[in-house]
Order: sequence, then C-alpha cells, then structure tokens
Amino acid sequence: MSLPTPLTAEQVYHQCPLDQLDFDTTDALKDLDLPFGQERVLRALEFGASMRADGFNLFVLGPAGAGKHELVERFLAKHAEGQPVPSDWCHVHNFDFSDRPRAIGLAAGQGRQFKKDMSDLAGELRTAIPATFESEEYQARLQELQEEITKRQQQSLFDIQKEASANNIAMITTPAGFTFAPMRKGEVIDPEDYKSLSDEEKALIESKIEELQKKLQQAIQQFPRLRKELRERSHTLNEEMVQLTLGGPINELREKWRHVPAVVDYLDAIREDVVEHAEAFQDSEKGPPNGLLDRYKVNLLVDNAGTSGAPVIYEDLPTHQHLAGQIEHRARQGTLYTDFTLIKGGSVHRANGGYLIIDARRILSQPMAWESLKRILFSGEIRIESLERLYGLASTMSLQPEPIPVSVKVVLLGNRMLYYLLSQHDPDFLDLFKVEADFEDDLNRDDESYGLYARMIATIARQLKCRPLGRAAVARLIEHASRLAADQRKLTAHDRVLRDLVSEADHWANRSGTATIEVEHLQQAIDEREFRASRVRDQSREQIARGIVMIATEGEALGQVNGLSVLRLGASMFGRPTRITATARPGKAQVVDIEREAKLGGPIHSKAVMILSRFLASRYGGDGELSLSASLAFEQSYGGVEGDSASVAETCVLLSAISRLPLRQAFAVTGSMNQHGEVQAVGGVNEKIEGFFEVCRGAGKVRGQGVILPATNVEHLMLNSEVRKAIADGDFSVYPVTHINEAIELLTGMDAGEADEKGKFPLGSFNRAVASRLRRFAEASKKQGGRKGSRERPGEESRG
Amino acid sequence: MNALEKKAVVNTEKPQEQASARGRVLVLIDGSKMSYAALTAAAGIAGKRNADMLGVFVEELNLVRSAGYGFSREVGSVSGISRPFDPGILEQRMRRLADHARVALAEAVKQRGGRAALSIARGHVIEEVLALAGPDDLLVLGRAGWSSPAGARLGSTARRLIRQAPGQVLLWCEQRLPYQKRVVVFLNDHEEANHRAALAAAEIARHYCQPVTVILETDGEPAADQIEAIRQDLDVIGPGTRLQILSDTNPLTVARVLREERASQLVISRECALFNAPGAEELLAALSLPVTVTP
Repeated sequence: MSLPTPLTAEQVYHQCPLDQLDFDTTDALKDLDLPFGQERVLRALEFGASMRADGFNLFVLGPAGAGKHELVERFLAKHAEGQPVPSDWCHVHNFDFSDRPRAIGLAAGQGRQFKKDMSDLAGELRTAIPATFESEEYQARLQELQEEITKRQQQSLFDIQKEASANNIAMITTPAGFTFAPMRKGEVIDPEDYKSLSDEEKALIESKIEELQKKLQQAIQQFPRLRKELRERSHTLNEEMVQLTLGGPINELREKWRHVPAVVDYLDAIREDVVEHAEAFQDSEKGPPNGLLDRYKVNLLVDNAGTSGAPVIYEDLPTHQHLAGQIEHRARQGTLYTDFTLIKGGSVHRANGGYLIIDARRILSQPMAWESLKRILFSGEIRIESLERLYGLASTMSLQPEPIPVSVKVVLLGNRMLYYLLSQHDPDFLDLFKVEADFEDDLNRDDESYGLYARMIATIARQLKCRPLGRAAVARLIEHASRLAADQRKLTAHDRVLRDLVSEADHWANRSGTATIEVEHLQQAIDEREFRASRVRDQSREQIARGIVMIATEGEALGQVNGLSVLRLGASMFGRPTRITATARPGKAQVVDIEREAKLGGPIHSKAVMILSRFLASRYGGDGELSLSASLAFEQSYGGVEGDSASVAETCVLLSAISRLPLRQAFAVTGSMNQHGEVQAVGGVNEKIEGFFEVCRGAGKVRGQGVILPATNVEHLMLNSEVRKAIADGDFSVYPVTHINEAIELLTGMDAGEADEKGKFPLGSFNRAVASRLRRFAEASKKQGGRKGSRERPGEESRG
Repeated sequence: MNALEKKAVVNTEKPQEQASARGRVLVLIDGSKMSYAALTAAAGIAGKRNADMLGVFVEELNLVRSAGYGFSREVGSVSGISRPFDPGILEQRMRRLADHARVALAEAVKQRGGRAALSIARGHVIEEVLALAGPDDLLVLGRAGWSSPAGARLGSTARRLIRQAPGQVLLWCEQRLPYQKRVVVFLNDHEEANHRAALAAAEIARHYCQPVTVILETDGEPAADQIEAIRQDLDVIGPGTRLQILSDTNPLTVARVLREERASQLVISRECALFNAPGAEELLAALSLPVTVTP
C-alpha cells in the first residue's frame, strides 16, 4: 500500500478568486433586498404570509444570529405594503351593562374622527343642556308644573279649611299636622264654654269634625301621589327639553355615521342616557359631573390612521398584558378605580389584520403569555382579562370588555430546538403553527454566489453606516465565511458574525484613517476577535509547552499517540492535542474504556470504543477466541470525553500496545472509524490542526510534524496562513486517510499488510505483528486456563 | 316704548355709609325647620349689626284650646294618620319646642356673638309679636307652610306680619339655586321709602357680598330729580349696582325680571306700588327667595 500524499497549501484553503469580484469597493454594489441562498425560508414566508386559512402561522427557525428577525421584518414589511389597512377599534361605554364596554370597529382612520365627534358632542352637551335647563321656557314650564301640583295640593287643604270655616270649625296647624276645633267669631271656643252647648249641637260639631278629619286624611294621603306625578311630569319635561336640544347634534352624527350601525346604536344609547340623567345637567355653574360626560368618551384602542398597508408589529416583551392588552386602574384616595377609558390594547390589537412577530423563547418565558396567545389564535378574538382574574386570584369586580375579533398572522422566531420541543410536547403547537420556515445555516459557495455574497456584504456595510469594503477585504471576508462554515464549499449565513466583523473592521479602518475597509483591517478584526477569546487556549498551550500537560511532538513511543480534541467556549473554539495511551495483555476479550469506567466518557465515545473492539476481534481474532485485556485512556483529561473523532487514534495506539511496535509522536490523529476500518469524517478539523501546529511550534521548531485526518474532511479545511505557510515550506503536513491501514503506515513507517484468503497477514507487516501477539495472548490464556482447569478437576486431560 | 327697558348704571364709588346699629332682631320661632333657618339668618344679621336678639315663641291660644277637646285628633301633615290630641301631649310638645328654641337661640348667638333672650308667651301670634316689635326692630320669620315645597307658601301669619309690623320684616327662605347672585330692590316714587329700601338693600349686599339691581317702577319716563335721588341712593348701595326701569308692575313680569336678574334676595317697601298690586302676595308666595319688607 502506498502512503497517502500530504495535502498542498492550496488544498487546505479555498482562496476567493479576485476575478470573481468585479468592483473596487462595495459602494459600487447594489443593495440586496432579500438574502440569497435562503429560498426555503423565503418560500415558506411567502406561503405563510399569504395563506389565509386558520392555523397557518409561521415558526421561523434558525440559529441565533442568523438574522431571522431582520429578514422576517423586511420581508413582511414588503409583503404587507400592498395589503389593505385594517380597521380601527375602539371601546365605548355600555349603557346597559356598564362593566362590559362595547367594541366598535371602524374603517381605518375613522376612529380618530369618531373620537373627535364624540368629544365635540360631550362638549356641546356640557354647555347646551344646562343652557336649555336655564332657559326661560324650561324654567317657566317647570314652575308652572310645580305651581300646578302645589296648587292642587293646597287647594285640597283650602277646600277642607273652607268647609270647616263654613261650619264654624277652625282648622289649626299643629307642629306635626292639623287639628280641628269648634270656632266662634274666628276664635276657637274655650273647651269650658263648649260644654255649655246642647248635646245636639255638640254631636253635630263632633260628627262634622270627624268628617273633616277623614277628608283631610284622604287629602294628605293623596300628596305622595301628587309628588310622584310632579316627579314624573318633571322628568317628562326634562326628556322633552333634552330631546329637543340633542336632536340636532345627535341626528347630524347619526346621519354622518349611518354606514356604521354600531355607532348609530351607540348614539341612540347616548340620547337615552342623557335624557335619563337630564337632572344631572342642570347645574349651569359647575356643569354636569365629569364622570357622566366621561362615559361619552371614545377609547381609541387601535388607530390605523397613520398605517399604510397591513401592520407588522414586533413585540419585544411578549407578556400576557402586552399581547392581549390590560385594564389599568387609577388610584384615588387609596382606592383603585377603572373604567372603559383605562382599557389598553395589546400588540395583538395593533397587529390585527397584519403580522405579529414574537421571539419564541421570550414568550415561553413569560407566565401565561404562550397560553394567552394560543387562546387568541384558537378563538379568533381577543378578550382583555387580567392574569389575576385568569388565575382566579382576584374576585373584585372589574371590566369585561367585549371581545374584539382578530385575524392576525403570528410569526414566531426561535431556534430549532425550541421548534422541535414544542412540536413534541405541545399538542396545540402544530395546529397553530403549520408553516415551518427553516433558515439555512450555510450557503453554497460557487461562482454565482460570489457576486451575491459581495452584495450582501455591501448591504450590511451600508446598513451599519460603515465604510465601503475594498475588493480584497470582501474576498477575505468570503474566505472567512467559509472558515466559519467550516467548509470550502460553503459560506456562513450567520448574519450577526458578518455584521460584527464589518463593524469591527470599520473601527480599525477608522483608526488607521482610511476611507475604505481594506484586507488588513478585516484581518485585524478577525485576529482581535480571536485574541479576545484566547485566554483559556493560551493557558492550555502554555501548560503543554511547559510540560505540565505531556504531549510529545517528536520521536517514537509505544502505546501512545496524539489525539485531537476541540473545546468550545462561548462563541469561540480551539483545538488541543491529548495524549491517548493503551495497554494490552492476555485476557477475556475486552477493551476497557477507562474514560467510561470513570464516568468521564460520553455514550458516543463508548460506542466508538466498542466499534474498535469489534474491529480488532473481527480483523485479528479470525474464527478463534480473541484473548485480549486492553485499556484506553485520555491522559490528563479531567473534563470528560465525548465524540468518536478519536477512534482512529485509539485503534492505532491499541494496536501499538498489542504489537509492541512504537508510533511516531510527530503526528496527531483525528478521525472516526467504522467496524471495517474505514475512516470517517469528523468535525472541528481546522481548529484541531491549528491547535496541534501551535503546540509543535511551542515545543520548538516545526519540522516534519503533521496531522492525519479523514480524507472526507479535506474539503472542510480552511486553515490559517501560518499553517499554510508551514505546509508550503514542507515543515508541516496534513495527510488525508481513508482506511486505518494508511494511518498505521504513517504512524509506524511499516507496511500495514493485507490479510490473504486464509486471513494471514504478510510477514514483516504491522498487522502480522499484531496478529502474532494476539495469538500468543490466546495461547497464554489457554495455558493459564488449562492449569486452572487441572487444579480444579484433577485427572482431566488438557486439550488444544 | 317697551314695557321693560333696561338701563345699566354702574356705581364705582365705595359705600360711604355704614348701616348703624339699630334696634333688636326679633325672630319668630315656632319649632319648624323654616323657623330655625330664619333663626340662623337672624343671628347672622344680628352679629353684623351688633344688635340684640329676641327669640319669640308663642304658644298659640287657638292651638291650646283645640287640644282641650276630648274628641280632638291630630292629622299628620305627611302621613295623614289621625291620632288623639290632648292638652298633655300639646303641653309636653310646647315645652320641648320652647326648650329646643332656647338651645338653638343660645347656639346661634354663641356662634355669632351678641346677646339674646327668648320670649315665651301664650296668646295669638300676631298680637304677641306686634306687642314686642318696635319700629327699629327687624322681624325675621320663616315662611310658614303647610307642606312641600319648603318655603313655597306664604302662611297667614307671615302675610299679616309683613303688612302690620312697625319696622322691617325679613321673610326668610332657604335659597336653593347656587347661581342666584344679586340683591334686587324695588323702588318707586316714594322718596323716603326708597331710601329705606336702598339702605336695607345696601346692608344685605354688604352682608352677602353681592351686587344690587335697582328696579325702578314708573308709569312713564322717570323725572330727572327722581333719577338724581336714586343715584344718591345708588352711591349708598355700593359698586356694581345696576338700574332697571320697569313700567309694568304685573307680578308675572316682575317674576321674569327677578329670574333674569338671578335675584338672591328681594327688598321691597310697603309703600311700593308692587307690594299693594293685586297678585303681589301670590308673587311673594311663589318666590323662593328671602324677601325684606321695609316700612
């Protein structure tokens, strides 16, 4: 087998061809309206935004910083432009049930007019009705009415008094009422003199007095009826006067608003209410109480007068109250009051007829907000209720505004995990969010995409009000975008990182006083970002350089190899070599994964160790039993190991331990392996290679070191310039391998050896050495087993 | 010429003459709410005048006698319920009323200052009051009435006293409408009576800090000297005074003028033609505002 060829500097980095960029600076490029490469999202948005059926709300999923919000807002703003402006909504007092304010929907822009009309009407009522009550006509009619009733009341008493006088009986006022007594010459007869009257006279007088008393009783008992009649007739008079005063303005408004039956009904209700409270308007000095007139106000909840197209609302704090609105209270002398004017609309009200953008994580972290949103979407109407009422914590009387019908398209923004969790655990979720708009993480890098990506960078620079980027800077940014995507054929779609880089590069360009962002400014931005995040990386490398963490980068060693791992800290990641060691001795076929035994290994790592264990058994065990007791460990690793990217290294080190053949320490190995020994791609190759390169450099001069990696990872390489230079100078090598044998040959310098049809490896090959040693292990085990068996069963003959 | 012609005369000079302390303030107390309202008003006037107060409580002889009959019954003025009425009940009630009157008088005087006495007599109210009242005394009485509305009716006692009393009579009534804010005084061609009425109006205007409207009743164009005399009286009255000339003494016209002027109090002389015009008593009965009748 021939050794794999090391990669050239060109193979480990995909340069951006400058001839693909046909401009001097990004100023020459037009803005990109919609991002390229996101067809899936755009088609989903287009469909979701246009689909009118219920439940076709959108969930836009993608990683943080992908520019979801910006794209969705931009797309919807454009989409909503041509759509009709939705209605205005207002709450007005309900004169039948004051705790249930009515909702009135009006054409866009008419809400303000309606509010003004009602305010003008209230102003007119404030002055016109007291003026009516003050008018000569009203006063005269009221007085006539009162006089008539008083006269009727008094007349009945006068009649009795007159009758009494005619019969010589005095009707005398007492402190509490009236009494009758016989009279002579205008004076009450002295009771003593009365005794001298004849019995007939006395009987006559007394019977008359009794009769008069009865009449008086009857007359007085009629007074409440008369007073009631006075009240009723006064009320009728008030009604009549108010009707006359109100007739003009109310009819004018009825005519004006006749196209809105709800307003006409409301105006009729106002007319009846004013008539009912006519007396309250009579004070011309203070005017009618404010509380009365306030009821004729209009609470304009949704004002679309200034809206063009359908509204696109982003709710940045999606609490229950902010979404569904709330009923506020006013404190007055320690008591809380509310009325329909204190009803405040929520973002769903404002977005009604349009689009509401909400961050999924935020809404899920607000108490009851998610449930409230689902309730609104299911019912198709918004009910404004406080949380304490929903929870049943408060039983005090409050308002129950009439629900407002709602037709809103909700666009949730969130990461994929949230989408899948919601799909899994919330049975309502997929009923309500039927449209999934999945953001691409990476974009294809081909000849067509260079121009578009450059335009995207130009758009970002303009949006951020940064200097234009020079052609080389754009090329460098494109290359860095490939590095961020960890793929020579991809470009990152992460909007935030690009924006941050452009901003930072603009800062460095500003510091150097240039009018454009050049490649060195961009490189400085990249380097500075890396430097800021490099504290842990540098500490780790220092420990290796000082020998505290032992990593050999030259010579040969038995049962020892350099594995490569990647550490992710926040937004940055770096690679670090790790010494992997192995031991081997005869025993029952088992490979002890020390990491797993110590509960430091994750399940994927355990799986990889099991795979390599089965690989060994099938490759070297043949039909017999494999006698091996081996162990594997990541030395000086205390934080846990996960992943299968070390399985090639583990296999090699284990084979070295079995065969007692040393491995070259100038190599670091990464790659996963299947049961047939084929090498499979792994992640983080750039960081791993750069990490090992730095460690070699820290240990002295870089000469002859290299990294063995899966051949399928080659197109993921976007190595930094220092590594590229070392490769070009022949000081550092990157070897792509497809099979474990290639790695073995590179690490040992020996032929790995292919098994013949009998399963025997050629003499002098590495695999032959492994197979021979394993056979010796098996023999040793058998002997040991036989001795053990004869001790246990004396007299039994040992076989095999 | 119209029946009503308005002329506004604004007197900007400050009043030159203070009402001098005159006789007592007599207030007729009969236990009714209106009489206690009159007592409060009287105490206010007495305080301003620095005059003594004399409460007059008369046990009406006819009432006492009527209770002496075994068959007497009292019919409640509100409920209409008839119940026995005997001297024992009446005496007890009279005593209670007198005690209450005494306490109320003492309270009123305590608040306003001055001296006060209560006269309790048994007889006919008018005779007893006329016996006590002198020409310099101000007699204050509430409008006695049979029933609602309060103060709307002018009792027979009040009718006779405003005519027969030797001095000023204030027929008190609780004001109901807050926007009444002018003292209206009626004058005619009786110069002395005019002067007395003007003085009374000036005193009331000062007391309540309200401007005065002078209404001059005359059949034709008022004579120049008459206007001059009235102007002198206006000087007495104070600033903000308005003069109106009225050629029609029909009580309905007068009632309208009073409404238009937003009269809070009315001052009228017994010599005034209006006072003696037919329907004047009905007008006074219908007016829901305090009326001062001057000699």
